[in-house]
Amino acid sequence: MVEAAPRSIRVAAIFYLYVILLFVLGPLIVVAGVSFTAGDYVTFPPQGFSLRWYEAITSSSVYSGAALTSLRLAVAVTISATVVGAGAAIVLNRGRLPGTTMMSALFLAPLVLPTIIFALGLLTLWSASIGRTSFYAMWLGHTIIAVPYVIRTTLAVLSTSDKFLEEAARTMGAGPWRAIIHVVIPQALPGIAAGAFFAFNISFDEAILSLFLRSPEIMTLPIQIYTQLEFSPDPSIAAVSTLMIGLTIFVIFVIDRLLGIQSVAG
Amino acid sequence: MTAVRLKNVSKSFGGVHVIERLSLSIEKGEFVSLLGPSGCGKTTLLRMIAGLEEVSDGSIYIGEKESTWLPPEQRDIAMVFQSYALLPHLTVLENVMFPLRMRRLGSRSEQRERAEAVLALVQLSHLATRRPRELSGGQQQRVAVARAVVSSPQVLLLDEPLSNLDARLRESMQEELIQIHRQTGLTTVFVTHDQEEALSLSDRVILLNSGKIEQEGPPAELYSSPRTRFAASFMGSTNILDVELEESGGGARARLRGGQCLFLGASPTEKRSGAIMIRQEDVQIAAASDADAAIATVATRIFLGARTRYVLDLDGHMIRCLAPADQFFGVGQQVAVVIHPDKIRILSK
Repeated sequence: MVEAAPRSIRVAAIFYLYVILLFVLGPLIVVAGVSFTAGDYVTFPPQGFSLRWYEAITSSSVYSGAALTSLRLAVAVTISATVVGAGAAIVLNRGRLPGTTMMSALFLAPLVLPTIIFALGLLTLWSASIGRTSFYAMWLGHTIIAVPYVIRTTLAVLSTSDKFLEEAARTMGAGPWRAIIHVVIPQALPGIAAGAFFAFNISFDEAILSLFLRSPEIMTLPIQIYTQLEFSPDPSIAAVSTLMIGLTIFVIFVIDRLLGIQSVAG
Repeated sequence: MTAVRLKNVSKSFGGVHVIERLSLSIEKGEFVSLLGPSGCGKTTLLRMIAGLEEVSDGSIYIGEKESTWLPPEQRDIAMVFQSYALLPHLTVLENVMFPLRMRRLGSRSEQRERAEAVLALVQLSHLATRRPRELSGGQQQRVAVARAVVSSPQVLLLDEPLSNLDARLRESMQEELIQIHRQTGLTTVFVTHDQEEALSLSDRVILLNSGKIEQEGPPAELYSSPRTRFAASFMGSTNILDVELEESGGGARARLRGGQCLFLGASPTEKRSGAIMIRQEDVQIAAASDADAAIATVATRIFLGARTRYVLDLDGHMIRCLAPADQFFGVGQQVAVVIHPDKIRILSK
């Protein structure tokens, strides 16, 4: 029990956790701080306080265009990855098909392989079979790396659910499809929602795949930030980044309201 | 009219026969128990009737309809699962309405009325808007039963529905099941490994052993006249003795290990080795003076309150019997054992 531990160890443990928290949140705090600077350079601590960099990015069509592209891409990826991932998870969990154990391992490959290798492979494949890279190439690429997250979160929920429920639904007059719609999906919903959340964030943040698979005229927010950082670094990057953090927090808040944060974190 | 008929049904899993050429028919309105130890195939049999398990061979009729290859949703059945299988995302009322919705029986408001009526039958109307996880085990059980009877199926299948309840709740649920059966008149197939449960609930007990019917009949018959050693030992505390069966002057006798004999009520039999069964309540003990009776030695005495249980050494056979508490015999004492010949059953194997 924690109560039984000596006071010195308890203090050390709490200190340890705060240090980790500092490393996790520190960069975010620095970025948010820099975004409110009145100066012209990315420096911390910020010089003065102003909203000038927020004005700069909202008045610039470069950022708003990139943000719109990223948002459209992220929404498209969320839909496709959630449908594909949840479907795959249900088949893997309930299908009673041969080889599903090996397949669930293979489906997780994009999680463990370096994204850059995967991006190169997909670019080569896309160029050879379809041709010019485009929004759709990015959509496909993002979807593939997001699907494993949806599979994982959905499988986690399904594996703890009562398998007799589906049989019970069948004995109550539901055909196989209606049993999935009325029984399996409602049960898997917390996992599917968590997966959708991950899919949105992965797509919204993804830079490497987008760099490989975009066509020159398409600009996403992460690439815009990267380009800006390379050629003319100024605190507008920090302002954009802070808005991205804000959006993520907002999505978490919405999911917490709809489903409870436990189901997403777990 | 027959509600369920199984014709030469077999089931094997990977070459292992679980059910072998089993035939049975269940009359409309009957309450039948499938009784047997775990692994005897009773649950597999029930799942085949439900359509959750495919038959390897044979055919199944539900009502007049050949249903061997119909999926579960096209069979006119309902099932109560051991784990109740209530849908956690629906309320109690929605759970009970679910079969009506899936089978498209009646309008939405008719479905609601029927579900409410059945909830009243199991005395759960006040919990209609709750979710299953907010209910106790016994309440969940009653919701599962309500959900099963709501669509008035041709057959109601119960898969060990009482095994997750504690002893007291189980007793009251048994009474409730009998009452629901009487009120709805539904043909019911009840799977259990508990012989007392099977005896107290059913019109007919079907005792299964390794995928075959060992014996079937009304509870009283199965209890008093088991035909085989397996049936005798499964149907409750009893004495089974390996003896030599022989004839003497028109009557049959069982010769015990030490040479003493018990007279049998059965018709004369040829001389052979066999087994006999005597229920412990049918063994009477008397003082050793009765010359005509077999003589035994008291090995153990256990005081049970209203009665006393004795274990007697009868010619090398240990037999258990129940005696009234006012009868007292000491351990090691010689006693006479009196058993009415009609109470001794010859077992077939």
